[in-house]
Amino acid sequence: MRHGLILWREDELSSADVKARQARLQRAIAAAGLDGLLIYTNHVRSAGVTWVSGFTPYWSDGLVLVLREGAPIFLTALSKRVGEWVKSVAPTFEVAHSPFPGKIAGERLAMVGAKRLGVVELDRMPGGVVDEILSVLPVELSDATDLFAKVRGQADHAELKLVRHTDDLAREAFKAGDVKSRYAGDFTGPVERAVRLAGAEECYVAVAPDLAKDRRFIRTGKAELGRTFAVRLSVAYNGVWVRRIETFSSVSEIAARLASVSAELDRVAPTLPADGSISAFYLPEGAGLVDWHLEAPFGTRPLKVVADAETSLGAPVPYGILTTAFSLDGETIAASRPVGFGDNVLREAAE
Amino acid sequence: MIGEIRKKRLIEAMVDAGLDGLVLYGNAWQNDYLRYAADFGILEGEGLAVVTRDGDVTLYLDDELEGERASLECPEVKTVVARDLIGTVSGVIGRLGNSRIAAGPKRHLPYGLAARRGDLRFEDATALIDRLLMVKTADELAAIRGAARLADEGYAVFRNAAAVGKKDYELIAEIESFFRNEGVDDNFMIIGVGGPEVRGMAPPLGKVLKPGDLVTTELTPCVNGYYVQICRTLVVGEPNEAQRKVFGIYNDALEAGLAVVRPGVTAADIARAENDIFRAHGLGDYVTSEYTRVRGHGLGLFPDTKPHILEDVNTVIEEGMSLIVHPNTYNPEIGYFVHGDSLIVRTDGPEILTKTARQLFSVDAKRAAA
Repeated sequence: MRHGLILWREDELSSADVKARQARLQRAIAAAGLDGLLIYTNHVRSAGVTWVSGFTPYWSDGLVLVLREGAPIFLTALSKRVGEWVKSVAPTFEVAHSPFPGKIAGERLAMVGAKRLGVVELDRMPGGVVDEILSVLPVELSDATDLFAKVRGQADHAELKLVRHTDDLAREAFKAGDVKSRYAGDFTGPVERAVRLAGAEECYVAVAPDLAKDRRFIRTGKAELGRTFAVRLSVAYNGVWVRRIETFSSVSEIAARLASVSAELDRVAPTLPADGSISAFYLPEGAGLVDWHLEAPFGTRPLKVVADAETSLGAPVPYGILTTAFSLDGETIAASRPVGFGDNVLREAAE
Repeated sequence: MIGEIRKKRLIEAMVDAGLDGLVLYGNAWQNDYLRYAADFGILEGEGLAVVTRDGDVTLYLDDELEGERASLECPEVKTVVARDLIGTVSGVIGRLGNSRIAAGPKRHLPYGLAARRGDLRFEDATALIDRLLMVKTADELAAIRGAARLADEGYAVFRNAAAVGKKDYELIAEIESFFRNEGVDDNFMIIGVGGPEVRGMAPPLGKVLKPGDLVTTELTPCVNGYYVQICRTLVVGEPNEAQRKVFGIYNDALEAGLAVVRPGVTAADIARAENDIFRAHGLGDYVTSEYTRVRGHGLGLFPDTKPHILEDVNTVIEEGMSLIVHPNTYNPEIGYFVHGDSLIVRTDGPEILTKTARQLFSVDAKRAAA
């Protein structure tokens, strides 16, 4: 579930920002000859609804129905009492309640005489919800993942500013970790606490406890830390997800080198394009690239791998998280940074 | 290993039902079916576990990072990362050939699979798995007792962290940090801060604790996949007369509900015992769905599992179930109030798991946030 701060903050993401997104989506729906678009949400598959409304469910699930005109409708099995909370944190849609939210979707579609409904990630929509819709209205369903991805792929200024803020928050939180910690949890506990104290909506922490042995990440706090270890911090703030991986060492000479590499990554990463290429990525002199991938918000997923050494980027993304592993002076270094949110991109998005 | 014990029970249930294969879906919200078979605490993306009656379990995940983690955290299960999760698993079901397959849970099974129920010829596994989830083995109950200890310790951390001037999300930061250090995988937690204007609980809204506030919380740590819940209310400063009086009603309702718990009664019997206390005080309106959701619920691999404790739920309570009884609801005089304890159903009645005193806690109004 989402445990952290969930709050409507007009100064960070305004109603006008969200309405502009809704209008762009409605134009695409009409252009595609659809009568409406349906997006599913739960706290794991939250990204589509968060983008179109600013709302993230902390628990349970729901649907957002976007018709060609008017405000979107959030359809949920949550009670009217919880609905008051929903309205207080997302004043950008109508909220409709039913133990069977798919049925209300069917009823609303019937009211506008809908015949064609696009569904983002149709094959992943809970089967029970689709049954509910079709029990009310035999509407033609089509997959609208590509349509949504095309609209969603265009970055806006508010989102990129939130990416920057969230990344700053994560970078600062790492300072709470003690590299001399014996166990992973000793390092990550204070880091997670710092993230949450800074008002994060959610935080996942994973550790590669000994990079000399294995660069895979696990969640346990009980693992003993090796000479060089990496920590992956996945942070959500006001609906935006960022990941950062930092590599640490308890050996001061290695730690100094790692700190220098990290600072250089911070300098260059924002200006890198989120286009699925690695060519512009900073690698320290003498380093050898081992692996990389690019993640981005896609469909209902807050972050999903959208490109790697074998797969090129299929559709534009609003920003990305570039993760790399490289070897340097016999050490393995893992690093993740958001890319595609530098001043140049922010200026373009504002225009 | 508890995962192996569950798998053995699952295979026995499949054999009894004449099934050759099971396909179980999960995500971080609704993970109980998947976890029962594959013992993986999925966090991002979605997964499907395919179980065959000869004991093979394959976990299909659509997220590369989660695939990597699963390979380390549950090496006994074969993990496959499949970006086309539905296509891949449909192919696997197809290759099982002339076998009896069941899949679930029905409501959450992805449409791409559910729509092929006819040509892939699979049945609904929901009832079979629900039964296994509700009535637990001795080893599962031992795991639940372990989680209860952390629920109590977590509430002590919460109480000690509450202070005038502290924000609700800062309180949660303390709890989450404590739980992560203790190896708690997840925690279902909502909170309410204030007075009569507070009608329920939600994630934190940035409210600042002030003297006189009620601070309500449900804490539900998850240890090795099993959730246990505790509900308590504290007052910032000395409780006033109304707060003390209302606490007495909720405590009576909790004790009345617990007193009914034994094998053979229904969920409705427990709910009715709780609600009768409210009705006796003229508060009958406040036990309806306008003000409260449930009067308790099952606990296990999902924090809000069946049976729901409601006056219209006639599920028979059985030995080996784990439940929370919580007469949580709105009170018009003082606001939303919570009070509840987790238990295991035994032949002679409830074994109460959470040991935190049943009292209206208070924190010194002079205790200020650092």
